Amino acid sequence: MVEPKDHLIEKIKELIIQRLKLADMTPEMIETDGPLFGEGLGLDSIDALELVLGLEKEFGTIIPDAEVGKKVFQSVRTIAHYVLEQQKAA
Amino acid sequence: MRRSSGKTAFCFPGQLQERPRLDENPLLTADLQFKECLSRVSGRTKFDLLRFSVEKEREDPDLSLRLQISTYLLSMIYFHRARAAGWTPDIFVEHSMGIYAALAAAEAVTFEEGLFITESIGKLLEREGRLHRGGMASIIGLPLEEVEKICRDLEGYQLVIANYNGSMQYVLSGEEEGIKNAISLALSRKAVSARELPFKTALHSPALSSLREEIMDLLRDVEVRSPKVPIINHWTVRPLGKEEIKDFLSQEIGRPVYWIRCVERLLQEGITRFVEIGHETTLTKLIRWVNRDVEAFSAGNGSYGKG
Repeated sequence: MVEPKDHLIEKIKELIIQRLKLADMTPEMIETDGPLFGEGLGLDSIDALELVLGLEKEFGTIIPDAEVGKKVFQSVRTIAHYVLEQQKAA
Repeated sequence: MRRSSGKTAFCFPGQLQERPRLDENPLLTADLQFKECLSRVSGRTKFDLLRFSVEKEREDPDLSLRLQISTYLLSMIYFHRARAAGWTPDIFVEHSMGIYAALAAAEAVTFEEGLFITESIGKLLEREGRLHRGGMASIIGLPLEEVEKICRDLEGYQLVIANYNGSMQYVLSGEEEGIKNAISLALSRKAVSARELPFKTALHSPALSSLREEIMDLLRDVEVRSPKVPIINHWTVRPLGKEEIKDFLSQEIGRPVYWIRCVERLLQEGITRFVEIGHETTLTKLIRWVNRDVEAFSAGNGSYGKG
């Protein structure tokens, strides 16, 4: 598996902050491998919808259903891997 | 929190989705408003907010009622904290059973009457849930037509849209088995999320219209005054008149919540700031969906969603 480059990780963190309007957060405050939902960053299903749309707009990445979303939205790194996979497949 | 110019709406959320973890918030529990609120509650209800907040998760037949009382108390605490911090609301807007705290905050009823109404209607709903097992589901990521189609495709389960929360956020209400089937169907039709909410009653569905008379009865001795701050009625998107309030309360559990309509109207009216008067950030996120540029945050989490 190709490891995502730092700038992609950074871009995804920025997308999360901008899309979810986490005004007091900076990319450094988001752990690359930390959970995004529940106990982690505390995101919920309304946030998930924002991220689905944000990823599509920013990277052309499609999250087709909740099952894929569950796997992809585990952490910033899993999102980055998915973005890379989708770009490779395109 | 801070003050600035512009018109402010205080938004009173409906029932919490999970028990509030107050042990993780010592600043809140040490607050004078918090202590004063709990001392006013003492003796009026058996419910203990602090104990509830630290209890281990377990099967709890009264969970919905406890969550509802918690929602009421926390909204009242955050309301007084927001006022003490200098925030002045121009209008109130409420979601679902957020109406009880909105009425008390607007002094249309007293704090104690608001608690009485919350607990009494909550008990009626519990009884109804035991007699006719119902449920609710949040469906995120499908447009209205798809959600309506799910209701039609599962005809026979009395499924209805109970909350219009955003162009791709809806809540369904109906028979328990129908709700489970609706979740499976929504997921198979590519919803981003479809999950059950902690209700055992088909809230905001016509199945509860039969409680109207009973609710009017329990409100008989409550003296309703004119709200000191206008409260928007989400059916008419106009302020609730004093004489409409009891009728609204008796009907609203049997009718849908039109949240999108309210937010759109308030934006047209020039509201520039939405403050969620509650412990979570659900309404803040729904407002973000309708308008990304407007300032919106939760008093329970002041840093959230600033525009």
